[in-house]
Formats: sequence, structure tokens, C-alpha cells
Amino acid sequence: MKPSYHEQSKRHAFDSFCKKILKHEARDYYDELKRQRKKEKSFSDLSLKEMEQLYKVDKYFVTEQIFNVLGLDVIVTDDVIAGALDNLPEQKRDIILLSYFLELSDREIGDKLNMLRSTVQYQRTRTLQQIKTFMGGDVHE
Amino acid sequence: MSKKAGKNNHLLSYPLIILASSGDVEAINTVLKHYEGYIAALSTRQLYDESGNKHFCVDEVLRRRLETKLITKILTFNVA
Repeated sequence: MKPSYHEQSKRHAFDSFCKKILKHEARDYYDELKRQRKKEKSFSDLSLKEMEQLYKVDKYFVTEQIFNVLGLDVIVTDDVIAGALDNLPEQKRDIILLSYFLELSDREIGDKLNMLRSTVQYQRTRTLQQIKTFMGGDVHE
Repeated sequence: MSKKAGKNNHLLSYPLIILASSGDVEAINTVLKHYEGYIAALSTRQLYDESGNKHFCVDEVLRRRLETKLITKILTFNVA
């Protein structure tokens, strides 16, 4: 039985078809690898700033002092500041926390604590002075 | 690939090609088997170990990829 000319040529065509597909696919793969290699960067080549964006460090064993003001928790991680705040009478501490940690305006603080805006401002400046003397030489400013 | 016993014996038979391109699983497997060697040869990569020795190793990712590509393309082959 002799296969027809057409069948014979189709068999050749199929063979070359398959080989071509395989060859090109393999080349695509290697090209992709090459492209990827070009874009890849080693960790050691990254600048410090780029590296810092890649990770985050959890802080353990840092003294955290939590102050409660109007039902909100304010976490202070700095020892010196926490100590200074701890030494203040409650109302003054509330003003400082609301103003500098929760970023409220004097008027908003006054509304919340039932005080005049001017009283809040006065207390705030006074307390800042107090803190400054309390912290003394610990902080240069 | 099988040894060339006679002329054109390295080619797949025409009926098989028709079956494979119409999606017959058995036929497609036969085609894959037929090109197994070529696929392996294409996916063999040279690797170097720490001391700089050459190794030849079949990249399984590439091998699977070639097989998949071949299967999808067999179905598009125009037999007529």
C-alpha cells in the first residue's frame, strides 16, 4: 500500500509543524528568562532607602505607656516624654495629649473639656513650659 | 525518536495525524510520545554548581510548557 502524495506531504508538514512550535516555544521561554534577568536586581544592589521599603520591624520591649483621654488610648513610646506626661496633673495632661497627639485645636479641646478656648491655650503653653523644665537637660531644645 | 527502519518511518502516520488534530486523547498522547525526545533535548539546560562544574538538567517547567503548547497547537493543525 503506497500512501498518496498528499498524505505523504501532510505527514511531513505535521512533523515540521510540531518541531517548529516546540522550537519557537523554547526560544520564547529563554527570551522571557533573559528579559526577567535584565529586570531582576540583587538585594545587595539596592540602595538603603529602597531596602527600607521592603520590611517593617515590629517593636518589642519598648516601654509603651498608654494614656487614656476621653475614652481614647494614646500610646507614648518615648520614655522621657511618657515620664513627663505622667508627672502632670490629669487635666493638663489631657490638654497636651489632645493637642499634640490627637491634633485637636484649642477650641475643639475647650468644647470637649468644658473650658474656654483661651484657658486651654494658657494651660497648654504653661504645661509645655513645665514639661520643658521637667525634662531639663535630657532633650536639647 | 524511533530508529529509521525504512523510509519515512520517523513520521507519524496520516490517520493518526487526523485523529490527533481532531482531539483524540490517545492520538495526542502518541504524538507527545513521538516528540518526547525532542522536547527533552530542547528543555535541557546547562547549569553550573558552586565549584563551576557543568551539569545538564531537564528544566521541568520548560518541558511541561512545551508539551502544553504542542497539545494546544496540534488541535489547530489543518489536515485537509
